[in-house]
Amino acid sequence: MKQDCLYGRAMSKQIIELEGVTVRKSGGLLLDGISISMSSREFVGIIGPNGAGKTTLLNVIAGFEKFEGTLSLFGQRESWKRSRETRLRIGYVPQLFQIDPAFPILASEAVMTGSIGRLGLFRSPGRQEKEKTMQLMEMMRVAHLADRPLGQLSGGERQKVSLARAILQQPDILLMDEPTANLDIAVQKEVLNLISEIHKQEDLTILFVTHDFNLLPVAMRRAVLLDSGKTVFDGDIGIAMSSETLSRLFQYPLETFERNGRRFVSYG
Amino acid sequence: MAEHLIDVFTYPPIQRAFVACVLCGASCALLSVFVVLMKMPLIGVSMSHAAFAGAVLGMLLGINPFLSGFIMCLLTAAVLGPLSDRTDMAPENVLGIMFSFLMGLAFLGMGILTKTKADALNLMWGSLLSLSGSDILVLSLITAILVLFVLLFFKEIRSVLFNRRLAAASGIPGKLIYYTLLFLTGAVVSSNLATVGGLLIFALLVQPGATALQLTYNLKHFFIISVASGVGACVSGLIASYIFDLPSGAAVVLMATIIFAAAYIFSPKRRTAKLKKKEYIL
Repeated sequence: MKQDCLYGRAMSKQIIELEGVTVRKSGGLLLDGISISMSSREFVGIIGPNGAGKTTLLNVIAGFEKFEGTLSLFGQRESWKRSRETRLRIGYVPQLFQIDPAFPILASEAVMTGSIGRLGLFRSPGRQEKEKTMQLMEMMRVAHLADRPLGQLSGGERQKVSLARAILQQPDILLMDEPTANLDIAVQKEVLNLISEIHKQEDLTILFVTHDFNLLPVAMRRAVLLDSGKTVFDGDIGIAMSSETLSRLFQYPLETFERNGRRFVSYG
Repeated sequence: MAEHLIDVFTYPPIQRAFVACVLCGASCALLSVFVVLMKMPLIGVSMSHAAFAGAVLGMLLGINPFLSGFIMCLLTAAVLGPLSDRTDMAPENVLGIMFSFLMGLAFLGMGILTKTKADALNLMWGSLLSLSGSDILVLSLITAILVLFVLLFFKEIRSVLFNRRLAAASGIPGKLIYYTLLFLTGAVVSSNLATVGGLLIFALLVQPGATALQLTYNLKHFFIISVASGVGACVSGLIASYIFDLPSGAAVVLMATIIFAAAYIFSPKRRTAKLKKKEYIL
């Protein structure tokens, strides 16, 4: 779907590498020497309780947060300041955010903002961008809402618009910060399936941050568990989701069970 | 009456006041789109007080008050910009502190000024009838720059207004847009000290945008409606002040409020929202 030669992409190389990444803020450690690496096309879950440092980790990779240690993206060392080219290669899907119902932007215009960075200054979105926008809105099942004001859509619909917007940017890495938080249960499931579909169809590395073990996309194979700014587990999602691992990590008796070939956590 | 009005327009000071009104309405209304959609009305207040405080200090020190007002605006922007980017401080608090500090500074200056208090008061209310040709030139120049900024960067502006962080994450120069905006706010506010004054300009930095918010979901129309209502308020305010012998600044602000109230009452957006709510209940 994308032009692979555009930025000299190298397949299955480590495209994200963190080495001893530490983030300090007001005296505390938000991240404490994190070392992780991810290869192209991987789908990795960053999972942990609130305050574990998941969002901080995403912010470091997205270039929103100053840090100590080394971070390499696409084989190049990066600080928190980024070139436009590097930013273009990293897409971002935030948590559902508030928007004034009267705000003057239509759903299709919101998706189209994903193409603005790539177009550069003084160039308007042309037919190609508009077609691609509609294509992605169809893929995300929100094409019928294209001409509706964004603020009038439901939370789930807005998150689907957000996904379409992020893919329109044509990134190599897609960062997702609890994209299904605050949505209705049925809608959460639908959005997770769409995310798995995106991973299947687009040539992307996805980092998916969540605190909920029971709401993971099927496509996610690897889990990095964070607690108090440290990596406490990094490996196969099946092993991460065993009662032993989780109970040991969270120092709380957690049981897991299997249904339809997937593991779930029983909080009760 | 109408003939009399046309007669009046042959006097150069009235012509200048009229042109200034149009320029002031247009420039403030363009800014008000940002002030309203970025939810930062306090930026408008802080900037207008910065301009006012700077101008009063300029009078004290014998500098051109509009120049010193502009410099004070730039200083304020330089403090406000980075501070409101920080996550450990709520922007409302930062702005609240700035605003009261600047007001204190302005009143301190007013207290020390002994002879020229009337001039300083003019900066508060504006004095449309005593504008010079160069005032008009500066106003036109700044309005033209602002119009150009909106036209050239429209798609970036839309992205930044929608979500600054997302815009920055996707390679849009959000910081550049934001700081240009703060800079232009300073320029517009300080150049309009002479027209509507430092206190009343705040109304024009909020009401035209708030009016447009009642009427459209289209950002292009939003800018156009905002400018139309800003210019409309200024011109109709000026005419009303002439006919009924009222202070012009006050008449302009009251006209802006009336236009906003009309837009609010007849807002099609509010009506559809209400209908939807009803459907929901049924």
